[in-house]
Amino acid sequence: MRDEDTYADLTALFTAEDRALEAKPFTDDVMGQIRAQGRVRKLLLAVTGIAGALLAAAQLPKLLADTVGLDTSITTSIVQAQTDMTALASSNPLWLGIAAIVGLSLMAVAAMERA
Amino acid sequence: MRTDPDLAADAARGSESAYAELVRRHQARVRGMARRLTGTASDGDDIAQATFLTAWQKIGTYAGGTFAAWICTICYREFLQVRRRQKVEIEFDETAEIIPFGRTQADTANDKMDLSRALAKLPEAQRICVTLCVAASLSHREAAEATGWPLGTVKSHVNRGVAALRKHLAATEVA
Repeated sequence: MRDEDTYADLTALFTAEDRALEAKPFTDDVMGQIRAQGRVRKLLLAVTGIAGALLAAAQLPKLLADTVGLDTSITTSIVQAQTDMTALASSNPLWLGIAAIVGLSLMAVAAMERA
Repeated sequence: MRTDPDLAADAARGSESAYAELVRRHQARVRGMARRLTGTASDGDDIAQATFLTAWQKIGTYAGGTFAAWICTICYREFLQVRRRQKVEIEFDETAEIIPFGRTQADTANDKMDLSRALAKLPEAQRICVTLCVAASLSHREAAEATGWPLGTVKSHVNRGVAALRKHLAATEVA
């Protein structure tokens, strides 16, 4: 006789107790949380992607100016704006800290995203 | 009817409907287990919910075998995490009244079943083993893997726990 057979009657009692639990509200609750988590992750991934795309796009004028020969006034103003932003950030290290925290948070969430 | 491993494979590919079916199939076992481990319905359901959220994150790591054993192992780990956190909170607040695992009057009033009352009287190790093997129908080996205890220890706790449970139930019937 298997060990499990010696308490089959008790298992039946526990199973009957569990069957009385209503499945739908609990299942809906769990799936609702899963969908909400998914939406937040997708949003953060989108923000990460857009930030990356903007960063890449910011390099384009300089690249185009070097290779294609884009109007210098456009590229100069964009490069100047970038320089100004960098100067502003370095004059107040708090901005760098905030940017680092946001970046790390986005990376952490993106890394946790399930396949 | 689709098998648990099939549903889990679909869920791992991102199918929420497949996962919802798994939750529907196993919620009673997991909630029952969590309620018995904690001794209350509210704490038990919180742990069961956390279990299914963690399982959704880790569904890709499910490598076949009994899905019930896999999800019950996650549930047991969630229970240990919550218990550890509660112990820290009690230790931190030295003036706090120590209450056994968050029992409320409403929860106690809900514990009308003799079976639950008898189970609550068992020592913790026996209660855990009886909950896993007798109530959640895990094999002794699966329970040993979930708890990390030696197989012989699990068997011994189950045998003693079942004997004590029968004794409590018999005493209740006589009374």
